[in-house]
Amino acid sequence: MTIPDPRPETRRFEVGHSASIGASKSAEPVFDIDDLSVTYGDFRAVEGITLDIQPSEITAFIGPSGCGKTTVLRCFNRMNDLIESASVEGSIRYHGVNLYGPRIDPVEVRRRMGMVFQKPNPFPKSIYDNIAFGPRVAGHKGNLDDLVEESLTRAALWDEVSGKLAEPALALSGGQQQRLCIARAIATSPDVVLMDEPCSALDPIATLKIEELMLELKKDYTIVIVTHNMQQAARVSDRTAFFTVDVRAEGVRTGRLVEFDDTGVIFTNPREQSTEDYITGRFG
Amino acid sequence: MQHPHDETRHRYSESLDATLRSTVELGALVLENVRRTTEALLENRLDLAHQVIEADDEIDEKYAALEHRVFEVMARQQPVAGDLRFLVAMTRILYEIERSGDLAVNCAKGLIRREGYSLSANVQSLLARMSRKAADLFSRGLDALADLDAEAGARLDEADDAVDDLVGELYSAIAQRSGDMGFDLAVELSRVGRYMERIADHAVNIAEHVTFIVTGSFPEEPAATKDEG
Repeated sequence: MTIPDPRPETRRFEVGHSASIGASKSAEPVFDIDDLSVTYGDFRAVEGITLDIQPSEITAFIGPSGCGKTTVLRCFNRMNDLIESASVEGSIRYHGVNLYGPRIDPVEVRRRMGMVFQKPNPFPKSIYDNIAFGPRVAGHKGNLDDLVEESLTRAALWDEVSGKLAEPALALSGGQQQRLCIARAIATSPDVVLMDEPCSALDPIATLKIEELMLELKKDYTIVIVTHNMQQAARVSDRTAFFTVDVRAEGVRTGRLVEFDDTGVIFTNPREQSTEDYITGRFG
Repeated sequence: MQHPHDETRHRYSESLDATLRSTVELGALVLENVRRTTEALLENRLDLAHQVIEADDEIDEKYAALEHRVFEVMARQQPVAGDLRFLVAMTRILYEIERSGDLAVNCAKGLIRREGYSLSANVQSLLARMSRKAADLFSRGLDALADLDAEAGARLDEADDAVDDLVGELYSAIAQRSGDMGFDLAVELSRVGRYMERIADHAVNIAEHVTFIVTGSFPEEPAATKDEG
């Protein structure tokens, strides 16, 4: 079984053993999640999640801490595999292929999905090397200089760093570092960009730049963002999923999906009272 | 709108509740003025007509202050969902109320211009019926607002047909008697009829905005508010 490669031909480069199905982007969902539950040991983090992620859209996951939104995000690129006790039930189909099928290579999955984390985490290397590292490892055979420039341009950072590519990435500001991480994520030409609270450590100006960048990137990539900033979800996303956490008598907390709809609907007339209470700040 | 667990959000809820209360109170001042206008009209009381004009200054001041408060809540709380619908609708409702107040003033000014007129029994009766009907609708619009009654919009829209019928009858009656009453008074009374009909329309609009607050859509088609024309 191979991982589908929906990227257009021009955005692919030859990588090691990557065999790919050359389907172009279709109107089919990128992810089709059905009755997903994730358990860490005895602790059930989320259960019964059913939703779909559409191509070239920004999907926002919102909800209180512990509601499982990051857990679900980490299922998309099989990052939960890195936690020994984690087990995943239900199905996640990626372009129709069962992502947790027995012969799926998680490393190959992660190649299709760039990830950006809460805190900018550039490598302690030069700006150039931060971008070039992934493609080099993946066996990129084209012109690396061009790829670095293209990635930095797409991440709206090129104009600020073009004259100092050899300087340490850690010397950049927080906002620049985060855009560098986005450039790094897209340098390997992924299909999906997963963002886990990408702006929570940034000031409003840097946040605005990232949001503008997301709107630009969604033309080419499918974006899923976890955010605690509801205004951010309202500003940038096409669809919003609201998760909540149920606390049972024994104090066991399990996340679940409450409502998933067009962002315009969620923020003007949500169906569920608990969504309304959360987005209007009435946490009770 | 009571959520006692969070102090900041509690204050927010209280400010929304207070906005609703103050808007209903402003509406009550306008209603009082509409009733005063009716009395002035039917009893030829210029003193009441002057009171209507004076009372409108307070209405205008309170309207401006309330509108400012709504804008400030929007700016500071970044409302969404039901809160957003409420505040957006409130700016429209405030406009409907303030405009109704102006229409009462227009009637009062007309009476002063035509000082000492006399009305035929038929015209008097029609004016009385339609003015009271308009005031009644306005009162029901305010009740809908105070109770956030989503059903009232459709009910008031239906009830408004009676006012429209009455204004038609009034025009015919004025046309028949225009020779006796003189051109100027005929025009003035036609205007009064028109203003009262508009007040009833504003009342329907208020109730329809309430439907929007509660359900997210208007009773009939979207933007089913009545034409200003």
